[in-house]
Amino acid sequence: MTDSTTELKVTAASDIDVDHDALDASIRQFVGPNGASYVTAFHKIHNATGWMPPTFNIWAALLGPLWAAARGIWGMFWGFLILEMIAWVQLGRGLWGNPGAAFLDRAETQFVRAAEFLQRAEAAKAAGEDPARFEKLAANLTKAAEDSLAQGQAASSEAFGILLTGLAVLLAVKLAQGFFGNSVYERQYSRWRITPGSVESGRKTANIMLGLFLVAAIAPLTIYKFTVASPSELLNVFPEKEVSQVFLGEGNATLFSTIASWLEARIDETARAGADVFDGVTAGVRSVLTTLTVALSGTPWPVVMLVICVTAWRAAGPRVAIFTAASLAYIAMLGYWEVAMETVALVGAAVVICVVFGIPLGIWFGKSQRAYKAAEPVLDLMQTLPAFVYLIPIIAFFGTGNPPGILATIIFGMPPVIRLTALGMRGVPESIKEAATAFGASRFQLLKDVEVPLALPSIMAGVNQTILMCLSMVVIISLIGGGGLGKVILEALQYAAKGPGLLGGFAILFCAMVIDRIVQGAFRREDLKQ
Amino acid sequence: MAEPVVRLSNVWKVFGTRAAEAMQAIKAEGLGKPEVLKRFQCVVGVQDASFEVPRGEIFCIMGLSGSGKSTLVRHVNRLIAPTSGQIEILGRDISSLNERELREVRAKQIGMVFQHMALLPHRSVRDNVAYPLEIRKVAKSRRWAISDHALGLVNLTGYEDRLPKELSGGMQQRVGIARALASDPEILLMDEPFSALDPLIRLQLQDQFKALVAQLQKTTLFITHDLDEAIRIGHRIAIMKDGVIVQIGTPEEIVMKPADDYVREFVQGISKLKLVKAHSIMEPIEKFRATDERSLEDSPRADENADLDQLIDLSVDTYSPVIITENGKDVGVVDKARLLRGIQGGKND
Repeated sequence: MTDSTTELKVTAASDIDVDHDALDASIRQFVGPNGASYVTAFHKIHNATGWMPPTFNIWAALLGPLWAAARGIWGMFWGFLILEMIAWVQLGRGLWGNPGAAFLDRAETQFVRAAEFLQRAEAAKAAGEDPARFEKLAANLTKAAEDSLAQGQAASSEAFGILLTGLAVLLAVKLAQGFFGNSVYERQYSRWRITPGSVESGRKTANIMLGLFLVAAIAPLTIYKFTVASPSELLNVFPEKEVSQVFLGEGNATLFSTIASWLEARIDETARAGADVFDGVTAGVRSVLTTLTVALSGTPWPVVMLVICVTAWRAAGPRVAIFTAASLAYIAMLGYWEVAMETVALVGAAVVICVVFGIPLGIWFGKSQRAYKAAEPVLDLMQTLPAFVYLIPIIAFFGTGNPPGILATIIFGMPPVIRLTALGMRGVPESIKEAATAFGASRFQLLKDVEVPLALPSIMAGVNQTILMCLSMVVIISLIGGGGLGKVILEALQYAAKGPGLLGGFAILFCAMVIDRIVQGAFRREDLKQ
Repeated sequence: MAEPVVRLSNVWKVFGTRAAEAMQAIKAEGLGKPEVLKRFQCVVGVQDASFEVPRGEIFCIMGLSGSGKSTLVRHVNRLIAPTSGQIEILGRDISSLNERELREVRAKQIGMVFQHMALLPHRSVRDNVAYPLEIRKVAKSRRWAISDHALGLVNLTGYEDRLPKELSGGMQQRVGIARALASDPEILLMDEPFSALDPLIRLQLQDQFKALVAQLQKTTLFITHDLDEAIRIGHRIAIMKDGVIVQIGTPEEIVMKPADDYVREFVQGISKLKLVKAHSIMEPIEKFRATDERSLEDSPRADENADLDQLIDLSVDTYSPVIITENGKDVGVVDKARLLRGIQGGKND
């Protein structure tokens, strides 16, 4: 300690000099070619205190995106490329585009047709018929043509305005490029100091080539497409048929129809081959559903109502119990009792299956980082894929009705409980796990006594999320023959029946709120205990 | 005392995916730490550690963070397996145990206390203390009785049914100690148990702990980064630096004869009054008689194990040097000069 203490010289802050040599060397190393001018520019930027950039980079102003590309500032490259293209499109429209062309064309055809009607009027007069109808039509058309002509001329006279706007925008963009180029580059330099490996520095030929290629590929086509009155059809529509023929040879088949029919055949094949498996799954799901349905619909309704209300009271207190009673009254008195119980059974079956499979999976993923990495894309897919997309294969494999509906619900509802269980497992402090191990706990004891109890709040949050996700699928699964309140809503939707739809909607809402309140109340009590 | 309770012989721990390779290279070529890191991307955590701890001794392992002391102590209950070397607990090689035997040794013979308590937040204090017994499937009535007894030892009677979070940090750590004692282990591993506590509570717990261990005759490995704590508690101290045990010795030896500059720097600020004993600063009585003409007639006498504090008390009221006795026989002399140098920390001669 004493030997290594170096002599410390204290200097007043105002007397501290900037070490320009080290800084300059570093800037030169970063900038590469043309170092001297950037050293000067960066010094000015470092000395400035206001927001106004104190330097102007003539190359950045002239070359714009190309300068940015050469220097590896890709954010600036894209930003100014888009801005410059807007300016050039305006210039192009002002110079060679003909904004009134469409109106003038229309005026011309209208004049031609007016002339036709006048001829027919002449012909009618010659034939001794009444020409008034044709004359009137011709007069109307002539008037319309004159309007179009006026509009066209007005639009054409706007061309000069558009040209001026384009010029103004281009000038503004160029000024911004010149003024802010060095500042942006200096910021890149600051980032480069932190991570020299991952921030671009110097002027690289590869970057210049890439920048040139991108500008050449993007700018001319875009400007052409927006400025020319009737651009080539090839730029509007992707030539899907022609490309298909390159792959498949001449004929009527397209890539789309070929792949789609191939897929269809595979799905049918799989459905046939795995019929036993799929039937088994359906039977398993149905048995869970039947158990719940018997419990909810088979039990006399006063008993079910009483049990629900008492559960609400015990789990979440008197206020939730009152709300529950009111909701049950609404459902029962509007005649939704049977369907509501069917809905609860559907959701309940889905939740039970989600929890039974989700928690063990979550525990596994929480323990094995590799398994989680592998499963995460699947979980993301399950949550992001719109439900309608997987309804189709579900119908193919499992048919229609309640069990396939439950399977669709599970796909959507399972990820939260898996994710939050894994999260909870990973959140268990290492020190507590180590302590249990040090006292001789086996892996199973560690799981049972330490990991699961400590992860429980997170697991419960996952279960709650899963319940709500499953409830949100109630209407969607009625599309593939699922029953319950969802079916009520679907029917109301088909006939645009506003009243019944709204009443059914409220029934679903009350079901969801009651379940959510009870579950949350129960979990909160569990949390308070800990 | 037949054999040591804990014996480590040439224990190495190399962390990294290529640890085995690195270990071979170390043995064959005598690679240093930086070379190992460069060639194998492996970190040497513990380097050739050997020591023995006899029954009833508190053996402190002192070092700064990153010195490998926690790693070293985790070898004793094989929370960490050594890359090379042997660890014996009561004469049994711990590496030779299978999974079930290892769990049994952990549950029955080794108690551990952690820096951050590591109590189970969802269990009562009593159930926390009883957890090692629960793992061993002891009946509930029995483990509750033992748990209550252990809580009594650390003065926590009356808090059995509280949750850990309702207790202060010092009390929580006492629960941790009670938990370690509950299965009546031979060995206690203390991983910086008092570091997270405030200084007053720490002093209190150190004294309580020392008394408790003396009473229960537990062999203790005590990790600390605080030399004061090591000196207060330890019978012997091992000082670690960068995975190497620099010096092992009694507190007095460490303070009076630091093995190198690193240890010397550490012991500089330590008060020697209670630590340094008369025998380590005295001049042999024959040499004194031969070279010194001062009379020893009025000299007070003190035992060779008297500490500096006592010697100061004796010599305040007299000009004569103090005579040091061993088993009633005069063996040495401490005069003022030697006493003052002793307080400074062994600058004599």
